[in-house]
Amino acid sequence: MFRCCIGHPQTLETFGAEGLRDSRKPRLVACSGSTLDHHDSNMLHSPHERVAHKDDVAVMAFLSFRLFQIQEITFKNYYTAYVTVRLLRRSPGHEAPAKWSTALRDLPLMDNPHTEGGSQDYCSVHRAQMQVEPDHVTSVRLILRQPSSAWLTFSLEQIQIFPQVPPNPEKEVSDWLSDLTLGDQHPDLEGLPDPQTVSSSLQQMWALTEVMQSNQTSASIGRYDVDGCYDIKLLSLT
Amino acid sequence: MADKEKRRSGATPPGMPEGNATKSDSDREFLSRAGVGELLRGAILKMVEARSDDPIGFLADHFCNLASVSETGTAGYSDVDHFSDGPLSAGAQEQQHLNRALWHLRLAHHSQRSAFSNNVRVAYDLLNLTGPLRRSGEVPQGPDVSCTDSPTEGGGGGGGVKGGLYTQTLQCLCSEGGVPASTSAPLLQRLHCQDHEAVPYDIFRHGVLTCAVFSDYIRQAQRLYAEVCCPDEGPASRALCLSVLGTLKEALETSQGCEANVCDNSNMKVNSCLEGNVKALCYLEASAKISPYRLGQAMAGAQARGPGGNMDAKEFENAAAELFITRVKVVS
Repeated sequence: MFRCCIGHPQTLETFGAEGLRDSRKPRLVACSGSTLDHHDSNMLHSPHERVAHKDDVAVMAFLSFRLFQIQEITFKNYYTAYVTVRLLRRSPGHEAPAKWSTALRDLPLMDNPHTEGGSQDYCSVHRAQMQVEPDHVTSVRLILRQPSSAWLTFSLEQIQIFPQVPPNPEKEVSDWLSDLTLGDQHPDLEGLPDPQTVSSSLQQMWALTEVMQSNQTSASIGRYDVDGCYDIKLLSLT
Repeated sequence: MADKEKRRSGATPPGMPEGNATKSDSDREFLSRAGVGELLRGAILKMVEARSDDPIGFLADHFCNLASVSETGTAGYSDVDHFSDGPLSAGAQEQQHLNRALWHLRLAHHSQRSAFSNNVRVAYDLLNLTGPLRRSGEVPQGPDVSCTDSPTEGGGGGGGVKGGLYTQTLQCLCSEGGVPASTSAPLLQRLHCQDHEAVPYDIFRHGVLTCAVFSDYIRQAQRLYAEVCCPDEGPASRALCLSVLGTLKEALETSQGCEANVCDNSNMKVNSCLEGNVKALCYLEASAKISPYRLGQAMAGAQARGPGGNMDAKEFENAAAELFITRVKVVS
C-alpha cells in the first residue's frame, strides 16, 4: 500500500509517498531496517504521540548515512491536514545513543481539514521554527494526519531537505583583514617606487577592468561558421 | 530669448532662407525668421551636457556638424537622379556618418553613465541609417533639430550597423584614445564584426564602452610604468614590473573567482542579501591584494629574488593590455 523512495537527503532528491485511507492502525513507511530499531514502531502508539486510531495517519521517514544539520524542509502539500516532524539525533560521540525528539508537533497545513484551503500549498519549515535544534540528525520522520473522510488520499510531495551551508567567507575574512592591520611593519623600500602611488594606479586599472567585465553583454550576433568557414558539410546542427 | 520663442511658430524653416527680405525688417524679425534663437539654444544645451574643456572648439565642431547635416540632405536629394555617382557618395556619406558618430561618442566620458549611454544611442542610430538612396520627399529638417530626430525619419534604417562601419568606429576610438594599433589589435580581434554582419545595439554599446575603457586603461598603464621605473636610470627592472602586474592579476582573479562562486551557490537557498554580502567581501578581498602594504611587500620581495634584466615600456604595456584583453568576451 505504501510506495516510498528513500534517498540520501544530502543530495536533495525529492521523495514522495502516499497514505491511503483506511481505518487500521498507522503503518511505518521507512524500511531498510538496520538503523531503525524495532522498538521505534512502538513509539507511534505511545501516549505522548496522541495518535488516535480513528484518524488516518501516514508516516514518511528519511535516513541519512551521516549526521547533518538541517537548514530547511520544503514540500508540497496534497490534502494533508497536520504534519509532525520528528528527528533522530545522535550526539557526535559514537557511544551516545540516538534519540528521537519532536521538532514540530501537528503543524496545521489546512485551515479546515474538510475544505480545500491549503490543500495543495507549498510549505517550508525552517530550522528556526523547530522546537529542538536540528543538528547531528540522522533520521527524519514526517507524520501526516488527515482526520477528514472527505479526501481519498493524502500525502506530501516534492519533499526537499536542505542541509545547513557552513558560512565559509567569514573564516577567510579574518585572514586577510588581519593582514591589513599589520600596516605598521614597513618593508624595506630603498630604491623602490612609492607603494602608495603604484597602488592607486593599480586600483584604477583594476576598477576599469571590473567596469568592463560588469558591462559584458550576453547578446549574440549570430555567427554559425566553423572556424570562419560556412561550408555546408561543417555546419553543426545545433 | 523669450520673445523669439513666441515668434518661433511663425518662423519659416531655416534650411530655406527667404530670398526677398525687405530692408525695413527689424533686427528681431530677421533673427526670428532665421531661427537663430533655436540654433543658439540647441548649441548651448549641447555644451552644457558635454562640458568640454574647449568651449570654442566644441562650438566650432557643433556647427560644422550641423552644416554637414544640411549638406548631406541636399546631396542625397540630388543623387537620386545620378546613379553613377551612387557608390562614391555612399562611401563619402558613410564616412560623414562615422565622423558625426565619433563626435557624439567623444562628448561624454564613459564614467558619466547616462550621458554616455545617450550618446552611444545617438551614434548607433546615426550609423544605422541606410545609404544615400533616400526618398526625395525627405526634406532636411534643419539645424535646429538635433540628430536625435533623424532616426524617426530613417525608418528604412537597417536592422543593425554594418560590421565594417562598427569595426572602423572601434578602431578610431582606440587610436583617438592614444592606444597604439599593435596594442589594440588583439582587442579588436575579439570585438570586430565582419562587413556582412548587422551589429545590434547591445553589441555596439559593449564594443564602444570596452574601447573607451581600454584607452583609459592603457593610459593608466603608461602612467604606472613611469611610476615604477626611475626615469634617469633607464628601463625598469623586469622583476619589479612582473611583481606589480602580478598583484593586479591576483586581484582580478580573486574577484573573478568570487563571481564563479556566487553562481555555483545559486542552487542553494542563499538569499540575495547574503549573496550581495559575499560579493562585497570578494571585492574587498581583491582590493586588499593591491593595497600599498601588500604592494610594498611584493616589490621588496621581487627585488630580492626576481628574474634579472629590464622591461621596456612597450613590453609592460603589452603585458598589462593582455590582462585586460583576456577578460573581454569574444563577440559571437
